[in-house]
Amino acid sequence: MLAILKKEFKSYLLSPIGYIFVGLFLLMFSIFFLVTIFNYSVINFEYLFYNGATILTFITPVLTMRMFSEERRNGTEQLILTSPRGITSVVLGKFFAAALIMLITEAFTLIFYAILKYFGEPSFVVALSTLGGFFLLSLAYISFGMFASSLTENQIIACVITIGVFIVMWFLPLNSALEPFSLINMFDNFPKGIISVTEIITFVTFTILFILLTIVVLQRRKSVK
Amino acid sequence: MIEVKNVSKKYGKFYAVRDISFTIKEGEIVGFLGRNGAGKSTTMNMITGFIEPTEGTIIVNGYDVDRKPKKVKESIGYMPEGTPLYYDLTVKEFISYMAELKLVPKKERKTAVQKAIAETGLEKVQNKLTKNLSRGYKQRVSMAGAIVGDPKILILDEPTVGLDPKQVIEIRELIKSFRKNHTVILSSHILSEVSQVCEKVIIIDKGEIVAVDTPDNLEKDTSKNAILRLTVEDENDKFETIKEAISTIKNIKFVKTNDDKSKEYIIETDSNEDIRKDMFSKCAEIGVVILEMKKDTASLEDAFIKLVEDRPEHSEKEIEKIEYQKELEELRKEVEDKKEEKEFKKQAKKEEKARKKAKKEEKKASKAAQKENDEKGGDK
Repeated sequence: MLAILKKEFKSYLLSPIGYIFVGLFLLMFSIFFLVTIFNYSVINFEYLFYNGATILTFITPVLTMRMFSEERRNGTEQLILTSPRGITSVVLGKFFAAALIMLITEAFTLIFYAILKYFGEPSFVVALSTLGGFFLLSLAYISFGMFASSLTENQIIACVITIGVFIVMWFLPLNSALEPFSLINMFDNFPKGIISVTEIITFVTFTILFILLTIVVLQRRKSVK
Repeated sequence: MIEVKNVSKKYGKFYAVRDISFTIKEGEIVGFLGRNGAGKSTTMNMITGFIEPTEGTIIVNGYDVDRKPKKVKESIGYMPEGTPLYYDLTVKEFISYMAELKLVPKKERKTAVQKAIAETGLEKVQNKLTKNLSRGYKQRVSMAGAIVGDPKILILDEPTVGLDPKQVIEIRELIKSFRKNHTVILSSHILSEVSQVCEKVIIIDKGEIVAVDTPDNLEKDTSKNAILRLTVEDENDKFETIKEAISTIKNIKFVKTNDDKSKEYIIETDSNEDIRKDMFSKCAEIGVVILEMKKDTASLEDAFIKLVEDRPEHSEKEIEKIEYQKELEELRKEVEDKKEEKEFKKQAKKEEKARKKAKKEEKKASKAAQKENDEKGGDK
């Protein structure tokens, strides 16, 4: 797994994708910083993340759409799948590489915390709970994006599936029956400083579910392709 | 070393590979020969565990590919068709990533990578990005990725496709050098390549194995009828009478008259016997001057074409027939089942009706009895 993680992480940094991802992410956060915090003259770091899910919707595919589609299109899939490494370690390696990029990017948002700190006393505990919750949410998003990428050899299709499902996720709260399944609603508690086990378990379960589904898809394809 | 037993791969109703079996011994260089789409790559992909056969078992190095894929994959170096590479890595990075994927221990990795680079002659380009390499070099990088870590078995899918003649020779020499300590399977549709490099040829056509033999034997088998090409000076048009003089001649075919009035003929014989001496003396007897005489040897190419074209076309039709009959039988069964079901239902309905009738009558009878009783009571 480590070999694949290392190579994938390196690939993110060698290609423009990693930089585009970090750049877009920080650009969007800067805009929110300007719109919310500057305009309302508050020093609440967590306000930045009220629109976090929106950012993730459009930015996660940048990271995930090429994961398996590109390998399939280029044929390099044959190289990894005929190596003694199992499918599970390939999937986990790729997942954690993307997660690592996400973690580093989110760490950059601490710059905004530092700026606020200069002007006042933002709560560090709330900031941590916000960042932690946001990271868990982004892991769930990455795992779904990865799953979408394993379904097709076309990156664009993978991207559209990912964004499409995430947009549907926005509208879940409109229906009272589906509201409990809304990851976005669940995330809303973290910026309030509320860390609940239910939400953490839901995020982690969602993540594991789609990692498993990715493995199943790749395994199944062995007998279909 | 490699044992393929009754393996088939089916896509829907189409068989990509159909019931093939063969064994490959340790240290052999074996060539898969076949037209495009014959099932060469599919077979190789199944041996490497990249795709699963629909039926049959493959045993590599003593392990079943299906049950112990990891053990099998450890012993195989695979160069896929089309030389897929990671274009954002340099040659050295790519080969060392392949070494890492193949579980080459960290201590040995550096030397293993250097060895693979040296063996494939990539020293000069080892720090270049793979995307900037020419096709020949890409092919070599792919091959280096396959041989790194010294796997016992090398599977090379069309290793020389798209190379210039010099590169082809170099790659062939490289493959020949693997003979000492590797078992090699390579696929190709270039016949001369297979006959030069391989000790054993497996000819595949339409997903089925047509022949397994050494290139020499295959050539011999097809050259049962020898062919002579002759150019003669024959002023009295006597050459054709030679057919009576030499009994084994089956056919004499006139090709053309050259500018110097010499004539060209093709002679077919019944057996593989050499009739050149006879031909020479008999021609002298009838006053025909031989200017040129050449014995045609059947090449592997002829063997291939003969094997593939001689194959009765009916096999596919037969398959269709069998499948059609199967379907018919299934349909028949279905119809019968339905009939039975209907009858069963009818019977059940009848029984039900009868039961209801009986019940009704019973009720009537009991009512009548009660009435009678009531009447009797009333009378009292």
